[in-house]
Amino acid sequence: MDKPLNNRAWLLVLPVLLLVAFSAVIPLMTVVNYSVQDTFGNNQFFWNGLDWFREVLGSDRIRAALGRQILFSAIILAIEIPLGIFVALNMPKRGFWASLCLVLMALPLLIPWNVVGTIWQVFGRVDIGLLGRALAAMGFDYNYVNDPVDAWVTIIVMDVWHWTSLVALLCYAGLQSIPDAYYQAARIDQASRWSVFRYIELPKMSGVLLIAVLLRFMDSFMIYTEPFVLTGGGPGNATTFLSIDLVKTAIGQFDLGPAAAFSLIYFLVILLISWVFYTVMTAQKETL
Amino acid sequence: MTRAVNTGFAVAALAMLGVLGWLVSIVPAEDGERDWFGSLNPGGWMAWTFPTALFYWIIAALLLAFTWLAIRDPEPPRRGILGIATTRGDRLFISLLGSAFINLAWVGFGGSPDWGGLAISCIYALAVFRWV
Repeated sequence: MDKPLNNRAWLLVLPVLLLVAFSAVIPLMTVVNYSVQDTFGNNQFFWNGLDWFREVLGSDRIRAALGRQILFSAIILAIEIPLGIFVALNMPKRGFWASLCLVLMALPLLIPWNVVGTIWQVFGRVDIGLLGRALAAMGFDYNYVNDPVDAWVTIIVMDVWHWTSLVALLCYAGLQSIPDAYYQAARIDQASRWSVFRYIELPKMSGVLLIAVLLRFMDSFMIYTEPFVLTGGGPGNATTFLSIDLVKTAIGQFDLGPAAAFSLIYFLVILLISWVFYTVMTAQKETL
Repeated sequence: MTRAVNTGFAVAALAMLGVLGWLVSIVPAEDGERDWFGSLNPGGWMAWTFPTALFYWIIAALLLAFTWLAIRDPEPPRRGILGIATTRGDRLFISLLGSAFINLAWVGFGGSPDWGGLAISCIYALAVFRWV
């Protein structure tokens, strides 16, 4: 703690910074410029001060989308993180079955987002989809096109199917790095299964768990393609998440100013929550 | 080594001043009066205005100044009221991020004038550097 940090390694990031500048920093700077101006097209802009921010912050539509987004991310994290840990703990540690499990777990991650949306769109259809038909045959009144709850459940199950493997694979990697000596010591002490998990496996997984939580939070908070393909934001606005609303404003209505102000607020929220997650989890790691 | 670093930063500081001067010089003028909120490059790339350019100039200047400070006077991380270890750079990040939310809250709750949020942010930044 009493030693100054050597920040010289940051110089090595400079080449990446150059690449990121063109893919992220310059577009972000442009968004800041748009957020304080108005345009009638033809690349002509007029100063508008902070009015777009006032409009966006006072918009009931955007507040509702933010509420849905927070709820969605909370549900996703509450399901995928424990489920991923559970799957990782129960995967074979070595041999043929371990390899087979790894390949099977990796499969959903290889499928592009829009294809995942299409798969579930067909899968859930009441007329031709396996899931929709099966639920209807069991007497459930399931229809994700008309019913908001069904739409939510389908999107959540789809996301869990698509991304739990990522959490499981990361946790599995963390578990594999624990030397056998730790387990031997636990056996000598007659530690319970819970104690082994709480005091050996969980601390050793905390690094990868941090990455898993951050990745899953950011991805779920920015989710666009899958719900857009599956429900198009409907029924009504039931599954219109922030990014879907943002695209409607920016591209559907071509309201560049409000969309830019909206994007910046969206970006700041993600930055804040990611920073809090990172700080809290690294602080915990130091105390363990 | 230190001398070379200082010379490098002095050149960078001069370049930054040059950029600021250039930005001021390209602010559009109509009938001899400067339009500080007008487009710096009408119809051009990224739709620049002087206030947004100044915003990025200040961020760049802060990064440069903090980099120079970190090299000249390296500082060990310390624990403040948040209970987390922070360096000067962390405190700058917390100040900037917090300021963004303070300004958003100021605008969202109908605060007036607009620079009121900026004034609170400056006080907040001072508090962060003193106590966090």
